[in-house]
Amino acid sequence: MTEVVTKEELDEAFAMFYGMAASIKDLVSEPVEVSDEERVAAAKRVFLKGIDANLATQLEACVHCGACAQACQFYLGTEDPKYTPIHKLDLMKRVYDREMSPLSWIKKHVLKDITADDLRAQQELVYDACTMCGRCNMVCPAGINIADLVALNRSALSAARLMPDELRYMQEAQAEDGTIFGADEDLFMFRVQDLQDKLGFEIPVDKPKAEVLLLTSGLDIHLFRDATGGAIETLHHMGIDYTLRTDAYEGANFGLLAGHEPTKKMLTEKLTKVAIEIGAKIVIVPECGHSFPAMRWGAAESVGHSVPFTAMTVSEYFGKAVMEGRLKLEKSKEKRVVALHDPCKVGRGGGVFEEPRAILEAIGWELHETESNRAYNFCCGGGAGNFLIERADKLKRAGYRIKMAEIEKTEAQSLVVSCGSCRMNFEVGKVKAGDTLPVESLAAIIAAHLPKKEKAEGEAA
Amino acid sequence: MSLLDFARGPALQWAGIIFVLGMVWRTLGIFMLMRSSPLSANRDNHLFEHGVRTVWSRFVPAPVFEKKVSFQYVAGWIWHLGFLVVLLFYKVHVMFFEGLLGFGWPALPNSIVLAIAGVTLGVLLWLLGRRIFNPVLRYISTFNDYSSVIITTLPILTGLLTFTHFGIAYETLLAIHMLSIALLLVWFPFSKLFHVITLLPSRYVLGVKFWRRGVQA
Repeated sequence: MTEVVTKEELDEAFAMFYGMAASIKDLVSEPVEVSDEERVAAAKRVFLKGIDANLATQLEACVHCGACAQACQFYLGTEDPKYTPIHKLDLMKRVYDREMSPLSWIKKHVLKDITADDLRAQQELVYDACTMCGRCNMVCPAGINIADLVALNRSALSAARLMPDELRYMQEAQAEDGTIFGADEDLFMFRVQDLQDKLGFEIPVDKPKAEVLLLTSGLDIHLFRDATGGAIETLHHMGIDYTLRTDAYEGANFGLLAGHEPTKKMLTEKLTKVAIEIGAKIVIVPECGHSFPAMRWGAAESVGHSVPFTAMTVSEYFGKAVMEGRLKLEKSKEKRVVALHDPCKVGRGGGVFEEPRAILEAIGWELHETESNRAYNFCCGGGAGNFLIERADKLKRAGYRIKMAEIEKTEAQSLVVSCGSCRMNFEVGKVKAGDTLPVESLAAIIAAHLPKKEKAEGEAA
Repeated sequence: MSLLDFARGPALQWAGIIFVLGMVWRTLGIFMLMRSSPLSANRDNHLFEHGVRTVWSRFVPAPVFEKKVSFQYVAGWIWHLGFLVVLLFYKVHVMFFEGLLGFGWPALPNSIVLAIAGVTLGVLLWLLGRRIFNPVLRYISTFNDYSSVIITTLPILTGLLTFTHFGIAYETLLAIHMLSIALLLVWFPFSKLFHVITLLPSRYVLGVKFWRRGVQA
């Protein structure tokens, strides 16, 4: 692998980026004045539009057994009953009961209507104290998809203009620029040029046609350039017909994270249209957990019909190539013991489990699984945009502690992740907790184990 | 009309009518809502089969959760099965159903039914106590939760009292037992007890959603 970023450069970039992320709250625009009645009406519209027969069945199936609390790291980390996952749906259930359920003719006389203050109180529950990781879905005896219903709560709060300031800033900025953290086209091209210089080969940008469209993210452009660099180097090594695009490079989707449906749809639709236009068969989303569901499950929904490409994560694409023998990796000289973090949106939300494990096996590293792994994995503690919410800091730390305790038990020498925001959370968590376990990008690890003798022509030694 | 005549006459008949109408109304009201279908490609094409698998797999907790939640799963099985066994295999109940349906089935010995009823009652009372004293359950519990446990417990309790001829006249105890059943029937469609209809379909919905994405749920 060609070193595209040194540890010193990464530390420096991390410090700058962290400062930038911390200042978001000060940059956010003044909120639009909306009456309480309008907020309530907007939230209700979203709830009532979003609940179909399947969700109604799930809402009607809860017996309040409380098992979901035992799966949630925010409850486990704080032991505060208000963080019990099913409680996060109470407000929506009340709207459903009063206005939509078959018993609404009784319940509207028994249950109080929701208020704007209820919606304000709901912010903490569905943004700060829930990363929509979906672990609670796995323990519920009634199989209630709490995470998806929390996503609907976020959409309702967004419609009521009650997003946390940090996510509102990110959503508004991305709705305007299409990208995040100011990673505009100039910065994107600067990073491409930088990677090109270091990798020693031309990186295809804006090819009119390509088999593979590679996305990146503002986080990788600013910070985790080893992840994007690793993906590019490996695609080049494999001789894949791929391209990056100046009109479709940002994989992050803060519309999805904030619950802002118009922005979510607009961003996914934009990428989808470019992918179709260039005839891509595969869209590789970057090491950015939520960009996977945004494209894999959201692309067809955004354009209203099935799409002629498959969205894959970096770990899935290269893992499959390893499993199918299309990508050979060199065995590592070092028999390193590692732990693997399955990002929630990619693993439990996307079914990508074996591919990253195949990569680690191919390079000969010894994987020590955490007690909760694959579909039962704990979240990093700050997913779904929580890593940006300043007031959620204590909750994030509690979530991180639960996760890190399992990792420490594996006695791993390093932690492998394939999600930039998970990586960011681990790095911040480590700093705050005084932990020192190295956290590594899977894409960078792949590139570091490409067989040297088979490197493509023109590549730097 | 004596209390017993009222209980086994109009009270049970009206409760039965309310039960049937209420269950049909609520069931149709939910299942006739619109359903959205995803447009994105599935990872798995055996969704019905896998959805059904999730319906079954959720009868036991996943190994990683066993330490935390096994006891409540086990408690749930015990009282649900106990309730059904007492309802369907106590000799007097079998005779009741025979009169209603025109056919019967073998009953269990009274001593066994009595023991099962005792255990069922004990578990239900323990679950009620747990709901009161466990901080999570206390926080999330509503009137629906408490009343549903109590109303489910009453027929078992009054049945045991009737069986043992405890305290007051047998006819009065029997009437109270039947009134407790009428209360249960009336409460059933309007409360969380309705989960007998929604719980398995809810598991199926989750199963399909997860298997579609390549995740065993």
